[in-house]
Amino acid sequence: MNRNLYTKELKRNRMNLWIWSAIVIGLTVLVMSIFPYMRNVGTEMANMMKSMPEGITKAMGLDAQTWNSILGLYNTYYGIYIIVLIGIFASSTGATIISKEERDGTAEFLLTKPISRKNIFNTKILTLFTLTIIVYAIQTITAFIGIIIFGESDINWSTFITMHINGLILIVFFTCLGVILSMFIQPKKNFMGMVVGIVFGSYFLNAIAKAADTVSWIGYISPFHYLDFTVSDPNYSVNYLTVGIMLLTSILLLLVSFKVYEKKDISS
Amino acid sequence: MLAIQTNKLCKYYGKHLGIKNVSLEIKQGEIFGFIGPNGAGKSTTIKTLLGLLIPTSGSTYIFGQDISKYGDKIRKKIGYLPSEVNYYNEMSSQELLEYHCRFYGINDYSEIKRLAELFKLDLDKKITDLSFGNKKKCAIIQSVIHKPKLLILDELTSGLDPLMQNIFFELLDEENKKGMTIFFSSHILSEIQRMCDRAAVIRNGEITAIEDIQSLLKKQMKKARLVFNQKPEQLEYPEGVQHQHWHNNKLTFEYVGSIDNLIQWMSNLDLLDAALEEPDLESIFMNYYQR
Repeated sequence: MNRNLYTKELKRNRMNLWIWSAIVIGLTVLVMSIFPYMRNVGTEMANMMKSMPEGITKAMGLDAQTWNSILGLYNTYYGIYIIVLIGIFASSTGATIISKEERDGTAEFLLTKPISRKNIFNTKILTLFTLTIIVYAIQTITAFIGIIIFGESDINWSTFITMHINGLILIVFFTCLGVILSMFIQPKKNFMGMVVGIVFGSYFLNAIAKAADTVSWIGYISPFHYLDFTVSDPNYSVNYLTVGIMLLTSILLLLVSFKVYEKKDISS
Repeated sequence: MLAIQTNKLCKYYGKHLGIKNVSLEIKQGEIFGFIGPNGAGKSTTIKTLLGLLIPTSGSTYIFGQDISKYGDKIRKKIGYLPSEVNYYNEMSSQELLEYHCRFYGINDYSEIKRLAELFKLDLDKKITDLSFGNKKKCAIIQSVIHKPKLLILDELTSGLDPLMQNIFFELLDEENKKGMTIFFSSHILSEIQRMCDRAAVIRNGEITAIEDIQSLLKKQMKKARLVFNQKPEQLEYPEGVQHQHWHNNKLTFEYVGSIDNLIQWMSNLDLLDAALEEPDLESIFMNYYQR
Protein backbone atom coordinates (compact mmCIF):
# COMPACT_ATOMS: atom_id res chain seq x y z
CA MET A 1 0.00 0.00 0.00
CA ASN A 2 1.31 3.41 -0.93
CA ARG A 3 -0.09 6.12 1.33
CA ASN A 4 0.73 8.93 -1.06
CA LEU A 5 -1.27 7.32 -3.86
CA TYR A 6 -4.07 6.26 -1.51
CA THR A 7 -4.70 9.75 -0.17
CA LYS A 8 -4.57 11.27 -3.63
CA GLU A 9 -7.05 8.74 -4.99
CA LEU A 10 -9.48 9.32 -2.12
CA LYS A 11 -9.25 13.05 -2.64
CA ARG A 12 -9.75 12.69 -6.35
CA ASN A 13 -12.93 10.63 -5.92
CA ARG A 14 -14.48 12.46 -3.01
CA MET A 15 -16.92 14.54 -5.08
CA ASN A 16 -18.34 11.40 -6.64
CA LEU A 17 -18.48 9.77 -3.25
CA TRP A 18 -20.54 12.57 -1.69
CA ILE A 19 -22.91 12.81 -4.65
CA TRP A 20 -23.70 9.10 -4.64
CA SER A 21 -23.93 9.00 -0.86
CA ALA A 22 -26.41 11.88 -0.96
CA ILE A 23 -28.53 10.05 -3.55
CA VAL A 24 -28.78 6.79 -1.59
CA ILE A 25 -29.28 8.60 1.73
CA GLY A 26 -32.07 10.68 0.18
CA LEU A 27 -33.78 7.62 -1.25
CA THR A 28 -33.50 5.68 2.00
CA VAL A 29 -34.92 8.57 4.04
CA LEU A 30 -37.74 8.99 1.53
CA VAL A 31 -38.73 5.32 1.70
CA MET A 32 -38.58 5.24 5.49
CA SER A 33 -40.59 8.40 5.92
CA ILE A 34 -43.49 7.25 3.73
CA PHE A 35 -43.94 4.07 5.77
CA PRO A 36 -46.38 5.51 8.36
CA TYR A 37 -48.56 6.69 5.48
CA MET A 38 -48.26 3.41 3.55
CA ARG A 39 -49.31 1.33 6.52
CA ASN A 40 -52.61 3.21 6.71
CA VAL A 41 -53.39 2.70 3.07
CA GLY A 42 -52.07 -0.88 3.11
CA THR A 43 -55.42 -2.61 2.58
CA GLU A 44 -56.39 -0.35 -0.28
CA MET A 45 -53.00 -0.96 -1.83
CA ALA A 46 -53.39 -4.71 -1.45
CA ASN A 47 -56.69 -4.56 -3.31
CA MET A 48 -55.20 -2.47 -6.05
CA MET A 49 -52.29 -4.84 -6.48
CA LYS A 50 -54.61 -7.81 -6.79
CA SER A 51 -55.86 -6.25 -9.99
CA MET A 52 -52.31 -6.17 -11.40
CA PRO A 53 -50.98 -9.18 -13.34
CA GLU A 54 -49.27 -11.58 -11.00
CA GLY A 55 -46.10 -11.65 -13.08
CA ILE A 56 -45.52 -7.95 -12.66
CA THR A 57 -45.97 -7.91 -8.90
CA LYS A 58 -43.60 -10.86 -8.63
CA ALA A 59 -41.04 -9.32 -10.90
CA MET A 60 -41.00 -6.06 -9.02
CA GLY A 61 -41.01 -7.76 -5.66
CA LEU A 62 -44.24 -6.00 -4.79
CA ASP A 63 -46.16 -7.62 -2.01
CA ALA A 64 -48.67 -5.37 -0.28
CA GLN A 65 -48.93 -7.77 2.63
CA THR A 66 -45.32 -7.14 3.52
CA TRP A 67 -45.92 -3.41 3.51
CA ASN A 68 -47.49 -3.78 6.93
CA SER A 69 -43.92 -3.90 8.14
CA ILE A 70 -41.34 -1.20 7.46
CA LEU A 71 -38.84 -3.88 6.42
CA GLY A 72 -41.25 -5.13 3.79
CA LEU A 73 -41.64 -1.68 2.30
CA TYR A 74 -37.94 -0.87 2.62
CA ASN A 75 -37.00 -4.15 0.98
CA THR A 76 -39.07 -3.34 -2.11
CA TYR A 77 -36.86 -0.31 -2.68
CA TYR A 78 -33.63 -1.76 -1.34
CA GLY A 79 -33.53 -4.66 -3.76
CA ILE A 80 -34.48 -2.59 -6.77
CA TYR A 81 -33.10 0.90 -6.40
CA ILE A 82 -30.60 1.16 -3.60
CA ILE A 83 -28.49 -1.89 -4.39
CA VAL A 84 -28.62 -1.16 -8.11
CA LEU A 85 -27.56 2.44 -7.47
CA ILE A 86 -24.69 1.53 -5.15
CA GLY A 87 -23.82 -1.27 -7.58
CA ILE A 88 -23.56 1.26 -10.41
CA PHE A 89 -21.39 3.56 -8.29
CA ALA A 90 -19.14 0.67 -7.22
CA SER A 91 -18.87 -0.79 -10.68
CA SER A 92 -18.19 2.49 -12.47
CA THR A 93 -15.59 3.51 -9.88
CA GLY A 94 -14.02 0.06 -10.26
CA ALA A 95 -13.94 0.43 -14.03
CA THR A 96 -12.31 3.86 -13.96
CA ILE A 97 -10.00 3.85 -10.95
CA ILE A 98 -7.15 2.24 -12.88
CA SER A 99 -8.16 2.94 -16.47
CA LYS A 100 -8.65 6.68 -15.95
CA GLU A 101 -4.89 7.05 -15.61
CA GLU A 102 -4.45 5.45 -19.01
CA ARG A 103 -7.25 7.42 -20.61
CA ASP A 104 -5.83 10.73 -19.37
CA GLY A 105 -2.23 9.73 -20.12
CA THR A 106 -1.26 10.14 -16.47
CA ALA A 107 -0.38 6.43 -16.23
CA GLU A 108 2.99 7.39 -17.71
CA PHE A 109 3.56 9.75 -14.77
CA LEU A 110 2.47 7.21 -12.17
CA LEU A 111 4.26 4.19 -13.58
CA THR A 112 7.62 5.93 -13.87
CA LYS A 113 7.60 6.52 -10.10
CA PRO A 114 9.44 4.15 -7.76
CA ILE A 115 6.38 2.01 -7.16
CA SER A 116 5.66 -1.46 -8.49
CA ARG A 117 2.56 -2.27 -10.52
CA LYS A 118 1.52 -4.66 -7.78
CA ASN A 119 1.64 -1.86 -5.26
CA ILE A 120 -0.30 0.48 -7.56
CA PHE A 121 -2.95 -2.18 -8.14
CA ASN A 122 -3.31 -3.02 -4.45
CA THR A 123 -3.48 0.61 -3.43
CA LYS A 124 -6.08 1.41 -6.08
CA ILE A 125 -8.21 -1.58 -5.07
CA LEU A 126 -7.95 -0.55 -1.44
CA THR A 127 -9.11 2.96 -2.35
CA LEU A 128 -11.93 1.46 -4.38
CA PHE A 129 -13.20 -0.64 -1.51
CA THR A 130 -12.81 2.24 0.91
CA LEU A 131 -15.10 4.29 -1.32
CA THR A 132 -17.74 1.63 -1.88
CA ILE A 133 -17.77 0.57 1.76
CA ILE A 134 -18.23 4.20 2.82
CA VAL A 135 -21.32 4.55 0.59
CA TYR A 136 -22.61 1.18 1.74
CA ALA A 137 -22.02 1.94 5.41
CA ILE A 138 -23.60 5.38 5.24
CA GLN A 139 -26.68 3.88 3.61
CA THR A 140 -26.92 1.04 6.15
CA ILE A 141 -26.63 3.45 9.06
CA THR A 142 -29.28 5.72 7.53
CA ALA A 143 -31.61 2.75 7.05
CA PHE A 144 -31.01 1.58 10.61
CA ILE A 145 -31.83 4.99 12.05
CA GLY A 146 -34.83 5.34 9.72
CA ILE A 147 -36.29 2.02 10.86
CA ILE A 148 -35.90 3.00 14.49
CA ILE A 149 -37.62 6.35 13.91
CA PHE A 150 -40.42 5.34 11.52
CA GLY A 151 -40.79 1.58 12.01
CA GLU A 152 -42.99 -0.53 14.22
CA SER A 153 -41.68 -1.71 17.57
CA ASP A 154 -41.05 -5.39 16.79
CA ILE A 155 -38.55 -5.32 13.95
CA ASN A 156 -37.08 -8.59 12.72
CA TRP A 157 -33.45 -7.44 12.73
CA SER A 158 -32.08 -10.69 11.39
CA THR A 159 -34.03 -10.06 8.17
CA PHE A 160 -32.49 -6.59 8.01
CA ILE A 161 -29.01 -8.05 8.51
CA THR A 162 -29.55 -10.72 5.86
CA MET A 163 -30.71 -8.10 3.37
CA HIS A 164 -27.68 -5.98 4.00
CA ILE A 165 -25.22 -8.87 3.88
CA ASN A 166 -26.66 -9.93 0.52
CA GLY A 167 -26.49 -6.31 -0.59
CA LEU A 168 -22.86 -6.01 0.47
CA ILE A 169 -21.83 -9.14 -1.40
CA LEU A 170 -23.58 -7.93 -4.55
CA ILE A 171 -21.78 -4.60 -4.27
CA VAL A 172 -18.41 -6.32 -3.80
CA PHE A 173 -19.13 -8.46 -6.84
CA PHE A 174 -20.09 -5.48 -9.01
CA THR A 175 -17.00 -3.60 -7.84
CA CYS A 176 -14.72 -6.41 -9.00
CA LEU A 177 -16.69 -6.78 -12.22
CA GLY A 178 -15.99 -3.12 -12.96
CA VAL A 179 -12.26 -3.63 -12.42
CA ILE A 180 -11.99 -6.59 -14.76
CA LEU A 181 -14.06 -4.82 -17.44
CA SER A 182 -11.54 -2.00 -17.52
CA MET A 183 -8.70 -4.48 -18.06
CA PHE A 184 -10.16 -5.93 -21.22
CA ILE A 185 -11.81 -2.92 -22.77
CA GLN A 186 -10.04 0.03 -24.40
CA PRO A 187 -9.42 2.72 -21.79
CA LYS A 188 -10.73 5.35 -24.20
CA LYS A 189 -14.24 4.01 -23.66
CA ASN A 190 -16.71 5.63 -21.32
CA PHE A 191 -17.65 2.88 -18.92
CA MET A 192 -20.74 4.47 -17.38
CA GLY A 193 -23.19 3.27 -20.03
CA MET A 194 -21.78 -0.23 -20.00
CA VAL A 195 -21.86 -0.45 -16.22
CA VAL A 196 -25.44 0.83 -15.93
CA GLY A 197 -26.42 -1.72 -18.56
CA ILE A 198 -24.78 -4.62 -16.77
CA VAL A 199 -26.06 -3.83 -13.29
CA PHE A 200 -29.59 -2.94 -14.38
CA GLY A 201 -29.58 -5.74 -16.93
CA SER A 202 -28.71 -8.39 -14.38
CA TYR A 203 -31.41 -7.05 -12.09
CA PHE A 204 -34.01 -7.25 -14.85
CA LEU A 205 -32.93 -10.73 -15.93
CA ASN A 206 -33.68 -11.92 -12.45
CA ALA A 207 -36.99 -10.00 -12.40
CA ILE A 208 -38.09 -11.59 -15.68
CA ALA A 209 -37.07 -15.01 -14.44
CA LYS A 210 -39.18 -14.53 -11.34
CA ALA A 211 -42.17 -13.29 -13.31
CA ALA A 212 -42.51 -16.22 -15.69
CA ASP A 213 -41.69 -19.81 -14.80
CA THR A 214 -41.00 -20.79 -18.40
CA VAL A 215 -37.97 -18.52 -18.55
CA SER A 216 -36.84 -19.00 -14.97
CA TRP A 217 -33.52 -20.39 -16.23
CA ILE A 218 -32.28 -16.96 -17.35
CA GLY A 219 -32.19 -15.96 -13.69
CA TYR A 220 -29.22 -18.25 -13.20
CA ILE A 221 -26.89 -15.86 -15.00
CA SER A 222 -27.83 -12.97 -12.72
CA PRO A 223 -26.10 -12.49 -9.37
CA PHE A 224 -29.42 -11.17 -8.06
CA HIS A 225 -30.76 -14.70 -8.36
CA TYR A 226 -28.25 -15.99 -5.85
CA LEU A 227 -28.43 -13.12 -3.40
CA ASP A 228 -32.08 -12.25 -3.29
CA PHE A 229 -34.41 -10.03 -1.31
CA THR A 230 -37.50 -12.19 -0.84
CA VAL A 231 -38.05 -11.17 2.76
CA SER A 232 -41.62 -12.49 2.68
CA ASP A 233 -40.14 -16.00 2.66
CA PRO A 234 -40.25 -17.21 6.27
CA ASN A 235 -36.94 -19.02 5.76
CA TYR A 236 -35.20 -15.91 4.47
CA SER A 237 -31.65 -16.03 5.87
CA VAL A 238 -28.04 -15.76 4.81
CA ASN A 239 -26.92 -18.56 2.51
CA TYR A 240 -23.29 -18.85 3.51
CA LEU A 241 -22.40 -21.12 0.61
CA THR A 242 -23.64 -18.57 -1.91
CA VAL A 243 -21.90 -15.76 -0.06
CA GLY A 244 -18.67 -17.77 -0.06
CA ILE A 245 -18.89 -18.58 -3.77
CA MET A 246 -19.65 -14.97 -4.70
CA LEU A 247 -16.71 -13.73 -2.64
CA LEU A 248 -14.39 -16.29 -4.19
CA THR A 249 -15.58 -15.30 -7.65
CA SER A 250 -14.90 -11.65 -6.80
CA ILE A 251 -11.37 -12.45 -5.61
CA LEU A 252 -10.80 -14.45 -8.78
CA LEU A 253 -11.91 -11.47 -10.90
CA LEU A 254 -9.39 -9.29 -9.08
CA LEU A 255 -6.60 -11.84 -9.50
CA VAL A 256 -7.19 -12.08 -13.23
CA SER A 257 -7.32 -8.28 -13.43
CA PHE A 258 -3.98 -8.04 -11.65
CA LYS A 259 -2.36 -10.58 -13.96
CA VAL A 260 -3.53 -8.54 -16.95
CA TYR A 261 -2.40 -5.25 -15.41
CA GLU A 262 1.03 -6.60 -14.51
CA LYS A 263 1.85 -7.36 -18.15
CA LYS A 264 0.02 -4.49 -19.76
CA ASP A 265 1.71 -2.04 -22.11
CA ILE A 266 1.19 1.52 -20.97
CA SER A 267 1.30 3.89 -23.90
CA SER A 268 -0.11 7.36 -24.06
CA MET B 1 28.85 -1.05 -13.89
CA LEU B 2 26.95 0.41 -16.83
CA ALA B 3 24.20 2.95 -16.35
CA ILE B 4 22.06 1.35 -19.05
CA GLN B 5 22.53 -1.98 -20.75
CA THR B 6 20.00 -3.48 -23.11
CA ASN B 7 20.43 -6.84 -24.75
CA LYS B 8 18.67 -7.45 -28.05
CA LEU B 9 15.55 -5.65 -26.97
CA CYS B 10 12.56 -6.39 -29.22
CA LYS B 11 9.08 -5.04 -29.05
CA TYR B 12 6.26 -5.96 -31.36
CA TYR B 13 2.79 -4.47 -31.15
CA GLY B 14 0.94 -7.47 -32.44
CA LYS B 15 2.57 -7.94 -35.83
CA HIS B 16 3.70 -4.35 -36.09
CA LEU B 17 7.38 -3.83 -35.29
CA GLY B 18 8.28 -1.35 -32.59
CA ILE B 19 11.98 -2.04 -32.09
CA LYS B 20 14.24 -4.94 -33.01
CA ASN B 21 17.53 -6.10 -31.48
CA VAL B 22 18.27 -2.84 -29.73
CA SER B 23 21.51 -3.31 -27.79
CA LEU B 24 22.87 -0.28 -26.00
CA GLU B 25 25.61 0.22 -23.47
CA ILE B 26 25.71 3.56 -21.76
CA LYS B 27 28.43 4.33 -19.25
CA GLN B 28 27.85 6.16 -16.01
CA GLY B 29 28.33 9.89 -16.28
CA GLU B 30 27.91 9.83 -20.05
CA ILE B 31 25.58 12.05 -22.06
CA PHE B 32 24.15 9.77 -24.68
CA GLY B 33 21.98 10.90 -27.57
CA PHE B 34 19.39 8.87 -29.35
CA ILE B 35 18.49 10.20 -32.74
CA GLY B 36 16.08 9.12 -35.42
CA PRO B 37 13.08 10.31 -37.38
CA ASN B 38 9.57 10.26 -35.96
CA GLY B 39 8.26 6.77 -35.48
CA ALA B 40 11.71 5.15 -35.65
CA GLY B 41 11.37 3.60 -32.19
CA LYS B 42 12.92 6.20 -29.89
CA SER B 43 9.95 6.46 -27.56
CA THR B 44 9.37 2.71 -27.67
CA THR B 45 12.95 2.12 -26.51
CA ILE B 46 12.65 4.70 -23.75
CA LYS B 47 9.32 3.34 -22.54
CA THR B 48 10.79 -0.14 -22.41
CA LEU B 49 13.71 1.14 -20.34
CA LEU B 50 11.25 2.57 -17.84
CA GLY B 51 9.09 -0.54 -17.68
CA LEU B 52 6.05 1.12 -19.25
CA LEU B 53 6.21 -1.34 -22.11
CA ILE B 54 6.90 -5.01 -21.59
CA PRO B 55 9.47 -6.14 -24.21
CA THR B 56 8.62 -9.07 -26.47
CA SER B 57 12.15 -10.35 -25.91
CA GLY B 58 15.47 -9.13 -24.61
CA SER B 59 16.45 -7.61 -21.30
CA THR B 60 17.30 -4.28 -19.76
CA TYR B 61 19.68 -3.63 -16.90
CA ILE B 62 19.94 -0.24 -15.27
CA PHE B 63 22.80 0.22 -12.82
CA GLY B 64 23.25 -3.53 -13.02
CA GLN B 65 19.70 -4.41 -11.98
CA ASP B 66 17.07 -6.11 -14.13
CA ILE B 67 14.26 -3.63 -14.81
CA SER B 68 11.65 -6.39 -15.09
CA LYS B 69 12.39 -7.53 -11.53
CA TYR B 70 13.47 -4.44 -9.64
CA GLY B 71 11.63 -1.75 -11.57
CA ASP B 72 10.37 0.11 -8.52
CA LYS B 73 13.78 0.26 -6.86
CA ILE B 74 15.56 1.27 -10.06
CA ARG B 75 13.06 4.02 -10.84
CA LYS B 76 14.02 5.70 -7.59
CA LYS B 77 17.28 6.61 -9.35
CA ILE B 78 15.69 7.68 -12.63
CA GLY B 79 14.26 11.00 -13.71
CA TYR B 80 12.04 10.99 -16.79
CA LEU B 81 10.91 13.80 -19.05
CA PRO B 82 8.12 12.63 -21.36
CA SER B 83 7.75 14.02 -24.86
CA GLU B 84 4.07 14.67 -24.31
CA VAL B 85 3.18 15.94 -20.89
CA ASN B 86 -0.06 14.53 -19.47
CA TYR B 87 -0.62 15.42 -15.85
CA TYR B 88 -3.58 15.53 -13.49
CA ASN B 89 -5.53 18.53 -14.76
CA GLU B 90 -7.19 19.28 -11.45
CA MET B 91 -3.87 19.72 -9.65
CA SER B 92 -1.69 22.81 -9.55
CA SER B 93 2.00 22.48 -10.45
CA GLN B 94 2.84 22.85 -6.77
CA GLU B 95 0.49 19.99 -5.83
CA LEU B 96 1.75 17.81 -8.64
CA LEU B 97 5.40 18.35 -7.74
CA GLU B 98 4.73 17.71 -4.05
CA TYR B 99 2.86 14.54 -4.98
CA HIS B 100 5.85 13.55 -7.11
CA CYS B 101 8.33 14.25 -4.30
CA ARG B 102 6.45 12.14 -1.77
CA PHE B 103 6.96 9.07 -3.96
CA TYR B 104 10.69 9.54 -3.35
CA GLY B 105 10.27 10.19 0.35
CA ILE B 106 11.07 13.89 -0.05
CA ASN B 107 9.12 16.09 2.34
CA ASP B 108 11.16 19.24 1.98
CA TYR B 109 9.57 21.20 -0.85
CA SER B 110 11.99 24.15 -0.95
CA GLU B 111 13.68 22.81 -4.08
CA ILE B 112 10.38 23.10 -5.98
CA LYS B 113 10.38 26.83 -5.41
CA ARG B 114 14.01 27.26 -6.44
CA LEU B 115 13.54 25.38 -9.72
CA ALA B 116 10.24 27.11 -10.45
CA GLU B 117 11.99 30.46 -10.12
CA LEU B 118 14.78 29.27 -12.40
CA PHE B 119 12.32 28.22 -15.10
CA LYS B 120 9.81 30.99 -14.38
CA LEU B 121 6.91 28.65 -13.74
CA ASP B 122 3.80 29.84 -11.90
CA LEU B 123 3.29 27.06 -9.35
CA ASP B 124 -0.25 28.02 -8.34
CA LYS B 125 -1.81 27.62 -11.77
CA LYS B 126 -3.76 24.45 -12.44
CA ILE B 127 -2.15 22.07 -14.93
CA THR B 128 -5.15 22.41 -17.21
CA ASP B 129 -4.53 26.18 -17.50
CA LEU B 130 -0.85 25.80 -18.41
CA SER B 131 0.39 26.27 -21.96
CA PHE B 132 2.29 23.49 -23.69
CA GLY B 133 5.64 25.11 -22.86
CA ASN B 134 4.73 25.64 -19.23
CA LYS B 135 3.62 22.04 -18.86
CA LYS B 136 7.01 21.08 -20.23
CA LYS B 137 8.71 23.24 -17.61
CA CYS B 138 6.71 21.53 -14.90
CA ALA B 139 7.77 18.18 -16.37
CA ILE B 140 11.42 19.27 -16.43
CA ILE B 141 11.34 20.20 -12.75
CA GLN B 142 9.64 16.90 -12.01
CA SER B 143 12.39 15.03 -13.86
CA VAL B 144 15.32 16.49 -11.92
CA ILE B 145 13.97 17.47 -8.50
CA HIS B 146 14.68 14.16 -6.79
CA LYS B 147 18.33 14.25 -7.94
CA PRO B 148 18.24 11.15 -10.11
CA LYS B 149 21.44 9.37 -11.07
CA LEU B 150 20.06 8.72 -14.54
CA LEU B 151 17.99 11.22 -16.47
CA ILE B 152 15.96 10.01 -19.44
CA LEU B 153 14.67 12.73 -21.72
CA ASP B 154 12.28 12.11 -24.58
CA GLU B 155 12.36 14.99 -27.10
CA LEU B 156 13.89 17.29 -24.55
CA THR B 157 13.37 20.73 -26.00
CA SER B 158 10.10 20.39 -27.87
CA GLY B 159 7.87 23.24 -26.77
CA LEU B 160 10.60 25.23 -25.00
CA ASP B 161 11.65 28.67 -26.15
CA PRO B 162 15.39 29.16 -26.82
CA LEU B 163 15.89 31.04 -23.55
CA MET B 164 14.48 28.15 -21.54
CA GLN B 165 16.41 25.67 -23.66
CA ASN B 166 19.60 27.41 -22.60
CA ILE B 167 18.67 27.39 -18.94
CA PHE B 168 17.82 23.72 -19.27
CA PHE B 169 21.07 22.84 -21.04
CA GLU B 170 23.05 24.69 -18.38
CA LEU B 171 21.23 22.77 -15.68
CA LEU B 172 21.97 19.51 -17.47
CA ASP B 173 25.65 20.44 -17.81
CA GLU B 174 25.85 21.23 -14.13
CA GLU B 175 24.13 18.00 -13.07
CA ASN B 176 26.24 15.98 -15.49
CA LYS B 177 29.40 17.37 -13.92
CA LYS B 178 28.11 16.13 -10.58
CA GLY B 179 27.85 12.66 -12.09
CA MET B 180 24.38 12.40 -13.57
CA THR B 181 24.07 10.11 -16.60
CA ILE B 182 21.85 11.58 -19.30
CA PHE B 183 20.11 9.65 -22.03
CA PHE B 184 18.08 11.66 -24.43
CA SER B 185 16.26 11.23 -27.67
CA SER B 186 15.87 13.91 -30.25
CA HIS B 187 15.35 14.41 -33.92
CA ILE B 188 17.28 17.65 -33.82
CA LEU B 189 20.91 17.03 -34.68
CA SER B 190 22.21 20.29 -33.26
CA GLU B 191 20.88 19.36 -29.82
CA ILE B 192 22.76 16.10 -29.99
CA GLN B 193 25.91 17.88 -31.20
CA ARG B 194 25.73 20.38 -28.42
CA MET B 195 25.26 17.96 -25.56
CA CYS B 196 26.41 14.47 -26.32
CA ASP B 197 29.52 12.39 -26.03
CA ARG B 198 28.07 9.58 -28.07
CA ALA B 199 24.88 9.00 -29.99
CA ALA B 200 22.96 6.11 -31.46
CA VAL B 201 20.95 6.41 -34.62
CA ILE B 202 17.75 4.43 -34.84
CA ARG B 203 15.83 3.80 -38.01
CA ASN B 204 12.79 1.59 -38.60
CA GLY B 205 13.16 0.13 -35.13
CA GLU B 206 16.80 -0.87 -35.47
CA ILE B 207 20.01 0.79 -34.34
CA THR B 208 21.92 1.65 -37.51
CA ALA B 209 24.95 3.29 -35.91
CA ILE B 210 26.45 4.19 -32.59
CA GLU B 211 28.94 7.00 -33.02
CA ASP B 212 30.91 9.37 -30.97
CA ILE B 213 29.96 12.88 -31.87
CA GLN B 214 33.31 13.71 -33.45
CA SER B 215 32.83 11.11 -36.13
CA LEU B 216 29.22 12.15 -36.56
CA LEU B 217 30.50 15.62 -37.30
CA LYS B 218 33.00 14.23 -39.79
CA LYS B 219 30.21 12.45 -41.52
CA GLN B 220 28.12 15.51 -41.53
CA MET B 221 27.25 16.89 -44.89
CA LYS B 222 28.25 20.34 -46.10
CA LYS B 223 26.80 22.26 -48.96
CA ALA B 224 29.49 23.84 -51.18
CA ARG B 225 29.02 26.66 -53.65
CA LEU B 226 32.01 27.44 -55.87
CA VAL B 227 32.30 30.17 -58.47
CA PHE B 228 35.03 29.50 -61.04
CA ASN B 229 36.83 32.16 -63.04
CA GLN B 230 36.25 29.94 -65.98
CA LYS B 231 34.37 26.74 -66.19
CA PRO B 232 37.00 23.95 -66.30
CA GLU B 233 36.69 21.53 -69.15
CA GLN B 234 37.38 18.59 -66.97
CA LEU B 235 37.13 18.33 -63.23
CA GLU B 236 37.86 15.43 -60.95
CA TYR B 237 35.78 15.45 -57.82
CA PRO B 238 37.15 14.20 -54.51
CA GLU B 239 35.42 11.32 -52.81
CA GLY B 240 32.26 12.33 -50.97
CA VAL B 241 30.92 14.78 -53.49
CA GLN B 242 27.38 14.21 -54.60
CA HIS B 243 24.52 15.94 -56.37
CA GLN B 244 26.84 18.27 -58.27
CA HIS B 245 25.08 20.87 -60.34
CA TRP B 246 26.54 23.36 -62.81
CA HIS B 247 25.04 26.70 -63.63
CA ASN B 248 27.28 28.61 -66.03
CA ASN B 249 30.53 28.87 -64.10
CA LYS B 250 28.93 28.14 -60.73
CA LEU B 251 29.12 24.72 -59.16
CA THR B 252 27.05 23.54 -56.23
CA PHE B 253 27.37 20.15 -54.59
CA GLU B 254 26.93 18.31 -51.31
CA TYR B 255 29.96 16.95 -49.55
CA VAL B 256 30.32 14.28 -46.92
CA GLY B 257 33.82 13.59 -45.68
CA SER B 258 36.89 15.23 -44.25
CA ILE B 259 36.90 19.00 -44.54
CA ASP B 260 40.68 18.99 -44.86
CA ASN B 261 40.53 16.93 -48.07
CA LEU B 262 37.94 19.23 -49.53
CA ILE B 263 39.96 22.36 -48.83
CA GLN B 264 43.11 20.84 -50.31
CA TRP B 265 41.18 19.97 -53.44
CA MET B 266 39.70 23.46 -53.61
CA SER B 267 43.10 25.08 -53.25
CA ASN B 268 44.10 23.68 -56.64
CA LEU B 269 41.14 25.22 -58.38
CA ASP B 270 40.91 28.56 -60.08
CA LEU B 271 38.17 30.07 -57.95
CA LEU B 272 36.50 33.45 -57.82
CA ASP B 273 34.40 32.73 -54.76
CA ALA B 274 33.63 29.83 -52.47
CA ALA B 275 31.14 29.16 -49.71
CA LEU B 276 30.65 26.19 -47.44
CA GLU B 277 27.28 26.03 -45.78
CA GLU B 278 25.60 23.99 -43.10
CA PRO B 279 22.79 22.31 -44.88
CA ASP B 280 19.35 22.66 -43.35
CA LEU B 281 18.56 19.98 -40.81
CA GLU B 282 16.27 18.16 -43.13
CA SER B 283 18.97 17.44 -45.67
CA ILE B 284 21.36 16.20 -42.98
CA PHE B 285 18.64 13.97 -41.86
CA MET B 286 17.82 12.60 -45.25
CA ASN B 287 21.48 12.12 -45.94
CA TYR B 288 22.31 10.40 -42.70
CA TYR B 289 19.34 8.13 -42.51
CA GLN B 290 19.48 7.05 -46.11
CA ARG B 291 22.98 5.71 -45.92
